Amino acid sequence: MKTLMPYATLAGEVTFKVAAAKLDGRDLPLSMLSQQERVVALHQVERQKWDEARLDLRVRIPEAELAEGPWSDVVCVAVLTEGVSNLRTVTRLNRSADGTWVGSPTLARDACRTRAELSVSVVATVDGVPGRIIGGSEENWLVDVLARKPVRQRELHINEVDFGENQKPYEWLHAFKDAPWLVETSGDMPTVHLNTGFEGITELLGSGGSTMEKAVRGLIAAQIATEAWTAMFHSAVSDIEVAEDGSLEWPSGWRDWVLRAMLPDVLPDLSPADALSEIHSRRVETSGWNELQPRIQYAASRRARVAKNLGTAIRELDRSDEGDQ
Amino acid sequence: MGNERGEGFGIWLARQLRRQDMTQAELAAALGITRAGVSAWITGRAEPREDKKRAIAEILGTDEATVHLRTVDAPAARPIAWYHRPAHADGGREFGNAAAFAFDADLAVLAREATQNSLDERHDDDHPVRVRYVLHELSGEHLRSFLDALAWEDLLPHYEVAAAQKQKVGGVIAEGLRDLRETDTLLLLRIDDFNASGLTGPEYGDGRFAAVVRRQLDSHKTSGHAGGSYGLGKATLWATSRLGLVLINSTLSTPHEGRRERRVIGRLDLPWREVDGQAYAGPAWLGEEDTDPEFKGVSRSWWADERTTERLHLSRVGSDPGTSFLVVGAHDAAGDAGTVQEMHDKIVRSLAENFWAAMTHGEATAPIMEASVTTLRNGQVLIKEERVDPHAHEPARCRALKAYLDGGTVDHLAGPEQVALAHVPLTVPPLRGDKGPGVDHRAVLLVTPADDADTKPNHLVCMRGNRMTVSVRRVPDLPMGTNPFQAVLLAGHATGARTEDADLAEAFLRASEPPEHDDWNRTEELAARYARGALSRIRDFRREMNTVVRHLVARREQKTGGGPAVLRELLRLDGGGTSAGRRIDSHPTVRNVDGELDSSGAWRVRVEVKLPPRDDAWVMMPVAKFDVRSGSKPSVRWAELVAGENCHVENGHLRFDARMSTASFSGVTDVASHPVPAEMARLVIDLQKARSGAA
Amino acid sequence: MSRHADDLPEQLGLLRDAVAARNLTRGVLTGQESPPFVALAREAERIKGAGSRWNVRPLRELFDDARRLHDESGRTGADSWLAPRLHYTLRLTRAEAADPALWNYIALVVAPDYVVWRHLPKTARDGKRPAVTADRFCGPHYKQAFARLWWAAELFRDGDDYRPAVAACRNQDVLNTVLRLDVIDHRPTARAVTRMLEDGIVRTGREVNALATAINAAASTLMYEVLASDEGPDAEAFRYWMDELDMAPPAPRKTLPAGPGDGAIPEGAVDVMATYFEKLFAEAPVRGKEPKDAEEVPIDV
Repeated sequence: MKTLMPYATLAGEVTFKVAAAKLDGRDLPLSMLSQQERVVALHQVERQKWDEARLDLRVRIPEAELAEGPWSDVVCVAVLTEGVSNLRTVTRLNRSADGTWVGSPTLARDACRTRAELSVSVVATVDGVPGRIIGGSEENWLVDVLARKPVRQRELHINEVDFGENQKPYEWLHAFKDAPWLVETSGDMPTVHLNTGFEGITELLGSGGSTMEKAVRGLIAAQIATEAWTAMFHSAVSDIEVAEDGSLEWPSGWRDWVLRAMLPDVLPDLSPADALSEIHSRRVETSGWNELQPRIQYAASRRARVAKNLGTAIRELDRSDEGDQ
Repeated sequence: MGNERGEGFGIWLARQLRRQDMTQAELAAALGITRAGVSAWITGRAEPREDKKRAIAEILGTDEATVHLRTVDAPAARPIAWYHRPAHADGGREFGNAAAFAFDADLAVLAREATQNSLDERHDDDHPVRVRYVLHELSGEHLRSFLDALAWEDLLPHYEVAAAQKQKVGGVIAEGLRDLRETDTLLLLRIDDFNASGLTGPEYGDGRFAAVVRRQLDSHKTSGHAGGSYGLGKATLWATSRLGLVLINSTLSTPHEGRRERRVIGRLDLPWREVDGQAYAGPAWLGEEDTDPEFKGVSRSWWADERTTERLHLSRVGSDPGTSFLVVGAHDAAGDAGTVQEMHDKIVRSLAENFWAAMTHGEATAPIMEASVTTLRNGQVLIKEERVDPHAHEPARCRALKAYLDGGTVDHLAGPEQVALAHVPLTVPPLRGDKGPGVDHRAVLLVTPADDADTKPNHLVCMRGNRMTVSVRRVPDLPMGTNPFQAVLLAGHATGARTEDADLAEAFLRASEPPEHDDWNRTEELAARYARGALSRIRDFRREMNTVVRHLVARREQKTGGGPAVLRELLRLDGGGTSAGRRIDSHPTVRNVDGELDSSGAWRVRVEVKLPPRDDAWVMMPVAKFDVRSGSKPSVRWAELVAGENCHVENGHLRFDARMSTASFSGVTDVASHPVPAEMARLVIDLQKARSGAA
Repeated sequence: MSRHADDLPEQLGLLRDAVAARNLTRGVLTGQESPPFVALAREAERIKGAGSRWNVRPLRELFDDARRLHDESGRTGADSWLAPRLHYTLRLTRAEAADPALWNYIALVVAPDYVVWRHLPKTARDGKRPAVTADRFCGPHYKQAFARLWWAAELFRDGDDYRPAVAACRNQDVLNTVLRLDVIDHRPTARAVTRMLEDGIVRTGREVNALATAINAAASTLMYEVLASDEGPDAEAFRYWMDELDMAPPAPRKTLPAGPGDGAIPEGAVDVMATYFEKLFAEAPVRGKEPKDAEEVPIDV
């Protein structure tokens, strides 16, 4: 997939950083910002309630290129968006004397559910057309209003709970109190519920122990992960949407990621778009869906590194046998 | 100089007699008095009457005023010339000044060592010491005139013999001579300091002058000021000269021989050599031949006139005390600075890197030093005076120090320009033999976020004394995801305190430094001077400073939650940072698209396709879409598809030949299918599998 | 199947997607059975800081009225009646409205019968019993039966004036297509679209879709916010309106209520966008008017 622009755009990079932030006018500790992960975490134990976050932005745009190109009325804007809350605020930035663009986009607590994406666009008049987007940041930031640590969430939730305890809001797990774990794939992020009431599971999955215990731990983790990936894949496939014109749309959030990561293992000979179309048609037309299951299983086991974990366990077993003799 | 008093009459008179090769008896005879009378004057027991002074003036060939004021020597000045030290009587030979060649002729090192000396010799502690570097390239007439002033013709035979020798120093000199001959240019590097002590003290014996000019191998920096601060570092001056030649002009902070201004001497370091059948030990001095019988054959500094300093490129601006060193034939053997511009920049960089702290000042305080670099060519400015701005080179560290000097630090970092301050305890143990618990000193630790352009973040600079850098180290064991920072530790006098604990800490830390002054660790001096346990105090201090840094930059600890690590690793949505799942494409992909809008508003595109190896042909559908802000992208139809290389158009599909790695086609979009005019949207080109029945 | 308001919990709760999905049985979707209220009420989470904002009764009455008033005239007509009144009655911040758990609760616990009444297809394919699609109970904001109406009112209103939102909800294609586009998060853009509806510049579903596609595609190269700037709504005024709920009368049945007075959309900005869109629309092909239909239906990437 390649894109063409109908007018001149910037070749140089647009980069930016959030240098600092304030919550209702008070400085946010710098430890709540991660320059490496490009995340701002706004939830502080000390300040449960706040109304407005103000972000201190520093943007670098290719100044030299701009000066020589066919662009006029150049404006640099910061864009804060969040899909679920229909958040979209666009803040004009100001050019400072040293050529960087600075500004303070604000985020109202009431306007954002979990995390907003912060990007920067450069807008200019090109060939007499005003308001053209001529460049934008590629490495964007996340502003997380719920997080206590500035990290990009890249892991599933793992919820350790005693299924037998009938504890709000997990009463429904009571029905599964003899299961060691359960995978739930609806919602913002899939969750693996680990049943702490299942004797020994916490200790087994914990840290330390003999090499044999570690090998078994790897095996169990791979087993749980395989189930999780399989469940996530099915959930993602069922979320593929058919647009008005009959074309297919990639699902959003983690489902998009799961499909893009696993489809090359499920249907290796197809481009991502073709694989999406193939998997969708097999599912709704019920033909060829069953034949696909082994491939889904395979893709999930690759994600869960079953081969490596099983191999380690077998080797460990061999070694302990030798010790017995 | 104003109403400054001259020397004592006796000392002055004794020197005048030596200068004139006249004995006390001869003077007594000329004056018609007893020898004992002259002796009484010289030993200071008596001073002659006015009429005798008039007579003395006449005998010495000067005027009365000179005898009265005694601020200058009688004009029968001895000739200024090069005096080469004769070879050792024992026939021992030295090939090159060991001290000079212990250092590589690196301009960065020179700038560091020479400036540290200036800093250590600051005269008035309320004002900055000013350091000025001038690179001056001479050629043609300007070069000729300088060499004349230098009595080059007298030196040349010595150089030629030295250059012919096989030792390292011989090679360097040969290179320098050849360069001078072939390019007809000579580079001078002048290092001036102002508001510094100047080279005070007698010609020989203890004093700053002798330490610099006489004792080349003297590495002893005494803690008092008798020997001055000139340690081994001064040898870098000679090492930087390809000709082993440095000229000196000093304005003294305390008079010597009743004089302060234009104490001039030159020193040349050559290996043992034989010239015109005479053997020479090595060093040579440009000056007056010493009249003191004890130092026969040695030349001493002289009080030069302004014309001489002018000709030797040694003139100093104003009468502030300090010294000017002129390195003749300066070069950078490190090799990364060839042109004068590069040398200029290298000196600026070295000054900024090594003395950013001394040059940083608060709102209400002056810096400890100021520095500038200028480059001239034949007296014309080539690169105008560049004041070294520490903030431009070390923004984060300077910000940290400035915040400390201005009292503008915080406890926790909350902004990119903020500086957090914490204290690091140092327990100074008692001296060996003393009783007592030791004294607690609180070193100052400053941490601030690193600048964006910083390529070496997360370092801790340790300083003491006049903010001299002892070490720069990466802080170990930082947790993952720590935001880049710079940290500065100020200990002892560097804290700005002149309290007892600061004095003790300063001495203790100095004792723990090796001769290179680049670490705080076990040394012999430490073991000899301090009570047992001194080493562990140092170790505690070093450990503690890292702990405090980690604490200041740490994220507030949270329970991570999130379940067992072993499981989390397998459930990462980004594949745990590994490239698992990233396969080589096994389907045709668009490698490149070129295109433009034609006059009808249609896109004309040329597409290059990458094909994976396969024995069968590929049948693909080219897809053109308009990009959108969100949601599905509308497709546009093709008005025209034209096959290119390895490609055939069949029923609106593309058939790519088997066993080919690339193919191409071009196409024109159907304007009637554009959801908006083409100039309003981005065009996306892709390939999809041809679907049966579609065509 | 209709439930008496008296049998309902007093206050709204939150029902997580997982719980909602588990209880959307075929029977619930076809309207043959009710969701298990008691079990759901037990699994629901309480809303922190509960107050009169979360009272169930005014909502239930609103749904009953919507159904009563439109049973004969046609249920699609209920959307434009209910949207502003739902927004007026259920006063939420956008952050709260973005939580699907709230809408799950309303659909499964408060008014499952309304969802079925409004969205059950008249006929079904292959002879099966017609069933409501699950996303009307538990789905994204542009699909879920109540979320889409609340959000339509929120995104298309002009300050306290709900009339543009009513115009938007009268056209099912606006709800189905335009509501889901990110471009309407810019108030002047949303208002320009409803103004074109009011002025009759766009009428049919196909015209709405063609306009939506044009606006969406042009937004890939244009920053509408720079062309027509809008300070955005006044967050404090909105807060005040939310807090004022207890003072406000119930939503009038015959006339439109007044929405939050958080600032009208700048007229000039709307003019700029409307002029732009009219030009784009004039140049856009409208499906059905084209000489030939698209042959291929490629997949979005």
